[in-house]
Amino acid sequence: MSFLRRRKLFIFLIGFIVLVALIGYSLRDRTNLTIAEQFIHDTVGFAQKIVHTPVNFITEIFTNIDDLRDTYTENQVLKEKLAEYKGLIYEVQGLKEENEELREIADLKESDLLRNFTPIQATVMSRSPERWIEQVTINKGNDDGVAENMAVITPDGMIGKVLTTSPSTAKVQLLSGFDQFNRISASVSREDGSEIVGMIEEYDQDSGSLLFRIIEESEKDLEEGELVFSSGLGGVFPSGLPIGEVKEVVPDQYGLTRTALVEPAADMYDINQVIVVDRAMKNESDTEVSEEEAE
Amino acid sequence: MKRLYLPLILFLFLVLEGVALDLLPGRLLTGDLLIVPHWVLIFLVFITIFYENERTYYSFIYALVFGLLIDVVYTGILGVYMFSYAFAIYIVHLLNKLVHANIHVSILLGVVAVVLSDISINVIYLVAGVNDMIWQDYFMTRLLPTLISNLVFLVILYPLFVKRLTTWGQEQLSGNNTL
Repeated sequence: MSFLRRRKLFIFLIGFIVLVALIGYSLRDRTNLTIAEQFIHDTVGFAQKIVHTPVNFITEIFTNIDDLRDTYTENQVLKEKLAEYKGLIYEVQGLKEENEELREIADLKESDLLRNFTPIQATVMSRSPERWIEQVTINKGNDDGVAENMAVITPDGMIGKVLTTSPSTAKVQLLSGFDQFNRISASVSREDGSEIVGMIEEYDQDSGSLLFRIIEESEKDLEEGELVFSSGLGGVFPSGLPIGEVKEVVPDQYGLTRTALVEPAADMYDINQVIVVDRAMKNESDTEVSEEEAE
Repeated sequence: MKRLYLPLILFLFLVLEGVALDLLPGRLLTGDLLIVPHWVLIFLVFITIFYENERTYYSFIYALVFGLLIDVVYTGILGVYMFSYAFAIYIVHLLNKLVHANIHVSILLGVVAVVLSDISINVIYLVAGVNDMIWQDYFMTRLLPTLISNLVFLVILYPLFVKRLTTWGQEQLSGNNTL
């Protein structure tokens, strides 16, 4: 009996060591998943694709009923906006032509612009049931051109970045799960040309907003309601992706810089269709790597 | 063929957990409450109570395998669910020897399993630095809502599976299946 009890303790301790080893392995800064993990992701992803369709159908019926109630007021607002947009279209067309001419003069290619990207449409299939891990799975992977660190957006704004990929699925880390290792170079652009540049540092759980640290100390104060965009200077995301709206500006703990609390523009909980953003201009280090690989 | 039923059902619950949060109304998700579905664990508790006899450890092995699958598929941090589920199921297995199998016992053991595994998951994540929640907040905003929602699931599942699991368990005991 005492032997049996000792054996149980032994197994428990071995289990504990295995646990620590596994956690240590997975918390390392891994860029690639092992083949076994990719295989599991794709197998479960396949089953999720089958399950997702009926579940989505049911949830959509309920949201449709909800939507019907607001249709009239929404329609009214949309009509007003449509009138505004008609004016905008002419303006945009003129600007586009002008832009193209200027670019020809300056001899720039399409891929030289920080703003340009190739969109990859994807559907969200599942969300991590573990609420401390803010991840969703999308139905596009390596084979469709999705790669790590690509930005993921909805029409409202940015929702996150691609964390890992396998051949036919990919994991997306949501903005609400960003920590200090996932920073976004962002800026607030104004009409008079004075930009405020800064970094989105992390997501603050308590206030439910992103912390936007303003790097340069400018005389002009950031105001509530101003829009924050990605600046593209971080070398990973293209510029001009809407991130959120300034909710409040607070001094940091030393009183030297200011931090703006930014409310994400996109809804992190009701995501269905997303666009994976493949930046047209590649990073210099990336091209070097691919050149090395080509050799 | 019958030996495949249990892993298939467990796999189905594993997949369904990923869309479980879509089924809840949005107000619950954006609020403070953190509801985590532990459906695989609930079904493992049923297997422990109704399928197994005293000498078999199927549910323990399933807990290891499917815990690891949850880690791989949903969190990316390996070993956490595997360890927590296996630990909870082992305790349930020990307690199950002392009581008779019925709905009250299922609810009681379900509470034990969910509380043990969720606290274990929380402790590991706390040590690994994934979350930094105060214990008081944890009990009110995560443990309690999670426990209640999973018990609702357990009560719904009970009439569907109990008889089937018992018959499968007896067939397995009589030696027709060598699972």
